[in-house]
Amino acid sequence: MARRAKRGFAKYMDQRLPATFKIQITSMVDMFVILLVFLLKSYSTSPVNITPSDKLTLPVSTSTKAPDDVLKLVVSKSGIFVEDEKVVDLNDGVLDVKDVDESDTQFIRSLYSALDEQAKKSKNIAAVNEEIEFDGKVIMQADRSLPYDLLRKVMYTSMMAGYSDVKIAVYTKE
Amino acid sequence: MKAFHKRTEDATFELNLAPMLDIIVSIVPMLLLSVAFVHVTVIDTPVPQAVERAIAAANERNKDEVQVSLYVSKSGGRFVVTDTGQTKETFVAAKGEKIDLEALHKETLAIKQAYPDVFKLELNPDENFPLEEIVEVLDQVRTTAHGEPKIVIKDENGNPVETNLMFPDVIFGNVAGG
Repeated sequence: MARRAKRGFAKYMDQRLPATFKIQITSMVDMFVILLVFLLKSYSTSPVNITPSDKLTLPVSTSTKAPDDVLKLVVSKSGIFVEDEKVVDLNDGVLDVKDVDESDTQFIRSLYSALDEQAKKSKNIAAVNEEIEFDGKVIMQADRSLPYDLLRKVMYTSMMAGYSDVKIAVYTKE
Repeated sequence: MKAFHKRTEDATFELNLAPMLDIIVSIVPMLLLSVAFVHVTVIDTPVPQAVERAIAAANERNKDEVQVSLYVSKSGGRFVVTDTGQTKETFVAAKGEKIDLEALHKETLAIKQAYPDVFKLELNPDENFPLEEIVEVLDQVRTTAHGEPKIVIKDENGNPVETNLMFPDVIFGNVAGG
């Protein structure tokens, strides 16, 4: 009886369809091709990629000029940063009196020190490498709500440190 | 007839998409890392240097230089055009709390048409003027809008050249002790 049953099971195993199957990947390829086209469209060919921080909202402009690979200066409501390093504290966009020079109210001392250090570094590199030239360019990423009074102080100080060509970073108007 | 039937049966096949999927799966993470969802551009705003100021002063002495200045504040925009020693002022009043950008653009276009060879504008914002509005003003004075007449200038040979640029060289005049 048991032998007959085993024979029946063996017969079933022989008759059933093979267990291998193929995954239908056509729809997945379709999806990936759409994703690929979208990513290629958004692909940035610019050598410089500026990523504004979360707490910083840049102004919107019709300008389409691509940024150069130069010194990055960030002016947010919480502070002033030179190449991602905080050099001056700001209290909701207001500069502390101690950070401003007593004889020249437009001059921010700690910002000048940081920029001067960067300028010296760039000049030293330019002295060794003939292909690199110190051109005094700086990209200023400033919050759109900040008053001109503060930005003027920042620009004045950067000018004193040798960075006289200030470029304002903006979001491109679509 | 029999041979034809046999051929059609053999012609059916399944395209092997697995290698294509492999390639796409490799490319997608690479593109995701380098994709820029937010496009950031820059506006040139060089600050006046001592040498440039000296040149400007020399030009002023020559009385041949035309200087266009724009003073912006919450109350509006004031154009000051200095031409051969003569100063002409025009004021564009603000619309409520904000600058009347349309009127400011029209006035800029009128000045540009009067002085097509001048490309430099000295911008002097008020202390409390926010950056957002400064950039809006810069957008209005830099180029003409779509549908507006183009600016006709003459090249070195005296041939007319059309451009949509009005005042692309904007400098902050009051940065250094203004």
